[in-house]
Amino acid sequence: MARRARIAHAGRAVWATVSEDGTALALAGGGSVAADEAQWLPPVTPGASIYALGLNYADHNRELGFAAKQAKPLVFLKGGNALVGHGGTTPRPADANQMHPECELVAVIGRPARNVSEAEALDYVSGYTVANDYAIREYLENYYRPNARVKNRDATTALGPWIVDAADVPNPQALSLSTTVNGQEVQHGSTADMILSVAGLVEYLSGILTLMPGDLILTGTPHGVHFCAAGDEVVTEISGIGRLVNRLEAA
Amino acid sequence: MIVSGTIYGVVLNDADERAALADAFNADPYKAPPQAPVVYIKPRLCATVGGAPVPLPAGESEVTVAATVALLFGRDATAGSEDAALSHVEAACLALDVSLPSASYYRPAIAERCRDGFLPLGHAGDVCLPDEIVTFVDGVEAHRWPLSRLVRSAEKLIAELSSFMTLQAGDLLLIGLPGEAPRARAGQSVRVEAEGFAPIAVSITTEAALAEVA
Repeated sequence: MARRARIAHAGRAVWATVSEDGTALALAGGGSVAADEAQWLPPVTPGASIYALGLNYADHNRELGFAAKQAKPLVFLKGGNALVGHGGTTPRPADANQMHPECELVAVIGRPARNVSEAEALDYVSGYTVANDYAIREYLENYYRPNARVKNRDATTALGPWIVDAADVPNPQALSLSTTVNGQEVQHGSTADMILSVAGLVEYLSGILTLMPGDLILTGTPHGVHFCAAGDEVVTEISGIGRLVNRLEAA
Repeated sequence: MIVSGTIYGVVLNDADERAALADAFNADPYKAPPQAPVVYIKPRLCATVGGAPVPLPAGESEVTVAATVALLFGRDATAGSEDAALSHVEAACLALDVSLPSASYYRPAIAERCRDGFLPLGHAGDVCLPDEIVTFVDGVEAHRWPLSRLVRSAEKLIAELSSFMTLQAGDLLLIGLPGEAPRARAGQSVRVEAEGFAPIAVSITTEAALAEVA
């Protein structure tokens, strides 16, 4: 399985190749770093556009009181400030009593994509990673919802630990997702339940704009809203992709 | 202009537009007036410098052309005060925020605002804010707006935004759009001017016409 991680090493951000057993990160110039000592960064090309989906799982939509399928996909964008790598911490404001994690499959674009059909769309995806895209429901407003105060806060989108090559993910619509908080499972679902598949999302977005190499598509989250506290360890995991650890700290 | 980060903009920062929408804000789907600044993000492929034509997608007859000022951050602004806000900004330029006409502010307007080439920028200069911005369509003045109409000044906007999200070095911030921005059709030219700024001059074309040239 081919996996690449972005880490801070010897004073700079570098891409490293993850060993088959996951214990070592091989550096491009030779040598390696032990995975449990690595400073993980979000595995993202600097300057990439970050697209995210709301309401893309029918069960989650019913949970939130929305129609199972929206008239058109709910897409929003995120800035680079929102990202934080594996093993990182996310600030939880003191008044954010309704802050909840969201486990999401992330598709990484590998070639410029414009007006791509769903049938060809996966040829434009180079890999997959995991996101934990926190939301804070108290801060929701009905203007460009989900608004920036909910979804574009610093370090509230954990990403990683690595990107798995698309060749190693034969069917992105058959992956199980789960979230645990302090070891207790609070969210469980399958990418089979996505309303618009990865391929459908590439078709939809590329019909509007050009998706560029490195761009990310966060594909939405299934059922399971669990409010978290400062100090909680939150783990989002997708089968065949990775296990992403994050901790909430009081802010 | 080196935009290495995220391009942010705000809508509903025009006092005249807010006054016109006061009743609508209390009705569905909004239910209450906006509290925090209403932010949108434009992908970097929106931005063009040097007058690249703006492509209309098939089936669309016109675009809204909203002139504003873009501020380029040179230092991270985090939880900044209003007084120090502009000290994080190291360049400014005119910007023409292009969108497909839409009356709704309920959901992020991706299909309307995020298209390739939908953000012509002028050449950057030192940080300053003009009194007013004038837009010409086919050489005729089509719109003029004084920045005194901004609900939140640039300083106040930076202070409030940075209270919940860092505006990072390399990010661009569009400080507000006029609610009654003019429209332009394919074949028309649009020019934006403001004292102290390099102007923007672009033409509106179609995606089909651009594809033929390519």
